[in-house]
Amino acid sequence: MNQKNNLMIGLIIALIIVFSYNIEASPIDFIEGIPNLTIVIEEMSQVDADLFEIAFWAMFETIQMAFIGTIVGVVIALPLSMLAARNLNSKFVYAPVRAVLAAVRTFPSILWAILFVIMVGGGAFAGVLAIIMYTVGFVAKLQYEAIETIDSDPVDAVSSIGVSKWQLIRYVVIPESASHLLSQVLYMFDYNVRQSSILGLVGAGGIGFYILGHIKWFEYGKAATFMIVIFITVLIIDWISVKVRDKYIVKSQHGMEIKAK
Amino acid sequence: MKLIQMTNPSSLSIISTKKIIQMNDVWTSYDSKNYAVHGINLSIDKGTIYAIVGQSGSGKSTLLKLMNGMMIPSKGTIKVDYQTPNMNDKKFKSMMHKIGYIPQSLGLIKNISVLENTLIGALPRLGKIQSLFKKFPQEEIQEAKKILNLVGLSGKEERKTYMLSGGEKRRVAIARAFMQKPTIILADEIVSELDHITAKEIMNLIADAQKRMNLTAIMVHHDMQLALQYANRVAVIKEGQKILEIGVEGDKIVDFQTGDLTSQELMEMYSDESKK
Repeated sequence: MNQKNNLMIGLIIALIIVFSYNIEASPIDFIEGIPNLTIVIEEMSQVDADLFEIAFWAMFETIQMAFIGTIVGVVIALPLSMLAARNLNSKFVYAPVRAVLAAVRTFPSILWAILFVIMVGGGAFAGVLAIIMYTVGFVAKLQYEAIETIDSDPVDAVSSIGVSKWQLIRYVVIPESASHLLSQVLYMFDYNVRQSSILGLVGAGGIGFYILGHIKWFEYGKAATFMIVIFITVLIIDWISVKVRDKYIVKSQHGMEIKAK
Repeated sequence: MKLIQMTNPSSLSIISTKKIIQMNDVWTSYDSKNYAVHGINLSIDKGTIYAIVGQSGSGKSTLLKLMNGMMIPSKGTIKVDYQTPNMNDKKFKSMMHKIGYIPQSLGLIKNISVLENTLIGALPRLGKIQSLFKKFPQEEIQEAKKILNLVGLSGKEERKTYMLSGGEKRRVAIARAFMQKPTIILADEIVSELDHITAKEIMNLIADAQKRMNLTAIMVHHDMQLALQYANRVAVIKEGQKILEIGVEGDKIVDFQTGDLTSQELMEMYSDESKK
């Protein structure tokens, strides 16, 4: 390892120490707090099985919110990503679109949820709107970055035929970036399901609403019932995600057969 | 391998044909310092096969990009069918469909089928709404299938291009170019990295189409023998300059222009080619 690398590592360690002091990080507080955690874990282990049915339906509502939010968000994000890609537009088009997308991304979904609860009242609809906004900002950014890195050879070859810009987008840019988009949709859906579980904390519907209610009354066992349902759902989504990726993304990128074991 | 016999240059007959591509003292560079092409003069007859031969980095591919308007010269003039090539110029863009460009990388879209890749050649003839919904007229689909049959890809229309072999991918790129109904074909090393038999099949495919459709084919090669076998004229490019141009008729070299090339340089060049 050369001197430059050693200097870089030393600098990173120095920053961690300085920042830890600034944020008042205390390992002693952490160690002393472990017994409190064991109390919560002990209470959470007393799962209330009677609540599984309610938890299931609350989770179903959360999945519906995430599904609508993801699809609508992606539909809005896709044309915006085309306008924000530097290799498809002039500076006068992509720069303002990127600025708007950056502004949308500034707020995390929980802040969007608070805003929409104020606007349309509490409930799942406010949650869906929050998910849409977050998805638009996030997917549009990932997608325009994917568009900018697509192989330039097909773009050049098809451009040389004399096609219009929209034909180039329809026949080259979209198919060439489709695997990236599918990957992002799967990730966003996974993320939005987990996110929708939290939005209930601010009254924007979903399973989080129940979790917050039980935690407020120190009913950790009941809250744990809902958390288990979230955990199982996320595992199932992750499993489906892997299968879809293998079938449509990995295979198309490497041209190889994937066989399920 | 074909043996080329030299004939007496004084016995050459001059055939007057329409010049479809003309380059006069063309210079161009990828950066402001180094020229990729130095003062090239080319004159290509309509309905002929013109080969450009040279080593990697000699400027062969740059010449093709100058011909289809993907690059513009920093000095000199180019005329392609009386138009100045520039893909950002509306007038030239409207005639770009007449130039079937097959890049070395082929430029196929890997996630769509062989048929869809071929139909891309018909896009300049398709309306906006039809383009948006991928609604190709039945006659265009039939034409694409006919071309795929011609290039030996019948029965593979629905395969995704990433599933094809190297030779098959080249056939798809050729089919896409034929689908444009071109008058000029620009092919950049389309038989490099192919086995001898497949390379010959691909070259025969282009040569047959050139005769049948009276195309002008400009083909970039590494291999001098292959160029002499198929082309009517061969230009040898070295470090961005044309150092030699040969006219070929059947088995005979009928024209030989060395430009500023000394006999010593010519000998060295041939020994370089034979070593490859």
